[in-house]
Amino acid sequence: MILRSIELESFGRFRGQTIEFRRGLNLVIGPNEAGKSTIACAVPAVLFGTDRLERFKPWGRNVCSAVLFFEGKGRTIQVKRNLITDEVELIEKDDLYHVLSQFTGKAPLRGRSASCREYLALLESLLGIADESLFRATYFFGHQPQEWSGEELAQKLRTLVSGSAETDYAEILDGLLNEHFQLTRRNPWGRDKQRDREYEEICQQLNEQGEAEPVETVPVFVEIDSSADIREQIEKLSIELEGDRQEYEKGLRYIEHVRLQVPETSENVVSTVVEGKPETLKISTDMDNLGEQLAAAGLPQNPPRELPELLSEAAQVRQEFAELQQPFSALNNREKKIPTVPWLTLGPIVVVLIAGMAVSWWQDFQFLWISVGAGICSSLCLGWGAWRQIERKKALAESRKERSHLEQKKLDAQKRQAGLSERCEAFGLPSSAVDLVRLQKLVTKHRELLEKFWNQAGSAVVETDACDNGNASEDEATEVGNASSDNDDAEKELLQLEALMTGFEAEFKRKELRLQNLRLQFNELSVDQDSRAKIPGTGLHNRKRELEERITVLRKAINLLAGAVDEFSHSHLARLNDEASKLFGKITGGRYAAIKLDENMAPSVQVDGRRWVPVDHFSRGTVDAIYMSLRIALAKVRDDGRSLPLMLDDPFVHLDQKRLATTLNLIDLASADGQLILFSHNLDLGKRAARERWHVVPLDEDTVDISPMEGEGHAGQLHLL
Amino acid sequence: MTRLLGSAHIETLAHEESVLGVLVRMVLKQAEHADSEEKMLLENALQLLLTRFQVMGGDDS
Repeated sequence: MILRSIELESFGRFRGQTIEFRRGLNLVIGPNEAGKSTIACAVPAVLFGTDRLERFKPWGRNVCSAVLFFEGKGRTIQVKRNLITDEVELIEKDDLYHVLSQFTGKAPLRGRSASCREYLALLESLLGIADESLFRATYFFGHQPQEWSGEELAQKLRTLVSGSAETDYAEILDGLLNEHFQLTRRNPWGRDKQRDREYEEICQQLNEQGEAEPVETVPVFVEIDSSADIREQIEKLSIELEGDRQEYEKGLRYIEHVRLQVPETSENVVSTVVEGKPETLKISTDMDNLGEQLAAAGLPQNPPRELPELLSEAAQVRQEFAELQQPFSALNNREKKIPTVPWLTLGPIVVVLIAGMAVSWWQDFQFLWISVGAGICSSLCLGWGAWRQIERKKALAESRKERSHLEQKKLDAQKRQAGLSERCEAFGLPSSAVDLVRLQKLVTKHRELLEKFWNQAGSAVVETDACDNGNASEDEATEVGNASSDNDDAEKELLQLEALMTGFEAEFKRKELRLQNLRLQFNELSVDQDSRAKIPGTGLHNRKRELEERITVLRKAINLLAGAVDEFSHSHLARLNDEASKLFGKITGGRYAAIKLDENMAPSVQVDGRRWVPVDHFSRGTVDAIYMSLRIALAKVRDDGRSLPLMLDDPFVHLDQKRLATTLNLIDLASADGQLILFSHNLDLGKRAARERWHVVPLDEDTVDISPMEGEGHAGQLHLL
Repeated sequence: MTRLLGSAHIETLAHEESVLGVLVRMVLKQAEHADSEEKMLLENALQLLLTRFQVMGGDDS
């Protein structure tokens, strides 16, 4: 993403001026007070808003606004902000000027409104950044570059570096943790361990019933899984056997046909077996071509006819999952809102009343009336408490019922999802939602091609059957006439075919036997499960085991995801460290070999090849070089097509001549892949800009005076100066 | 019982440079030295995570 232009309608000292930039290195040159920093600060001010309006608001005018135009692959983004009212207009358009996304509304800096959140989310998705401090720490480098310190910034930097912003992994983790907490209070994360959950309640019920655990050698969930597995194997094997049976019969017919032909045209028959008919060959070639076209379009080379049906079912399942999220969270919120009984308040009140009664008896003062009053009050308190407790229990029971209903729905959806995944895999299709959505889009796009492929495939099947049934005897007869009659070879081939058929028959019988065994096993398992279900208390035991299994799976999933996110972010951090170290080594002429960012993203530098020294032990010039290296390295590491230009506002004031020269070379190199905007008052840089063909934006023509010294070739840049 | 772990889809995911890729590689690595029960647990956990990723990814991905 490059910044194509800034339109300063009424901004600082600028009125209705447009400043254009190009890809690569841009130099905005001008003396002090020419407005370089104003332009540099316009970018974050327009994107995120500002709390220093007085700096940008023109004196005596009540307007202060600017527009940024960004350009990426096949799209442009325009962001306009009125800095006084914080009204923002963001429009994303494609190459044909169709609006892809749009936002209009108020979005002040650090705003928390829904409109502000919507704007920042859009900004995040389009430009990859939605935070001013993060922008200043990564894309902006001024006289006092923002250093990488503080836990909040470290967290944002970590997210930016690892690219975790793409998918909110924290949300997935939270979802898993919440599900875990709903099932049991036993957790290693230290959250609300007081209230019993379903698992503890079932354990308690089982204890109260005094039921011993039914003796079972295999856990229930394994058995359920086994029976499902057996059923699935039976289905698969049945389909396989049906296909095999047809093939076997076809084979028998074919051998019979060959046997009849052998005396006359054995070779021809064999050649037909090997080569097939010309029409079949043609169809096969056409299908190959279509298959290649499908593959080129990103579709499977041999898509099954059931593909559209599978995809629409997958979309339904996804929709179901998404729809289930809402009632779960609503249910959680409702459960949280169920009022508890204030026994801690009611208890002391009753105690005080009884104490009052005791005192009145002790002092012999209106004992009767006081005791009657205290008794009534105590009864009212206890009655109210009991009534509230009953209401609470009722509400909890309803909520539990609803939860189990939702759980059931979720389980059904998961089963459908698993079934769908298996069907996809059986067809050799990917089963992830990402791939299925992509596939669905491709199927819609290339529907005609697919229809053609399926029609062709249908014709091929018909053609092959026709060949197998011996309907093409006329063609064969022609070939018979042309073929030489080598009966020995043909007989040999026939023998081979017969041997193959014998092997096939043995395999077929073996499969039939296996199917029979599987059916027996399945029946036994079903009977066993039915009988167990009739034992009292077994339902609770089963539920307990189901919960145990779910809890174990959830814990495993939580640990795996947390570990994966951690490892992923560490690998990206290591890459950033490597890149920054290389750049920093070059800037310092090899004096320092490496930079390392710790867990809090605070940099330290390796000294003498062994000691790591924190950044605040170094001079300003070295610190600037460190942060410059980190910013350039980050832009390189985070090359996802959404990176913003690196903006350097007079960054070289603390660098000596040698480091300045090296840094300039590195900046020049770094800008080759993207865009870099350098703001400077240094006239020598203008001369270099002319030599290196940088894009130059002069801010004050009277003070910028650079003689054309490099010949005609640079006239394009120099006329600007 | 290791249909998912041995599938082509998982192999493709394992080559991705993303959190999901790292996750799948971690699961496959753990499954190498796991017994059948542990493998089943890993497969169930992975299935659960893939479903969550799918729900999160939605139509945008």
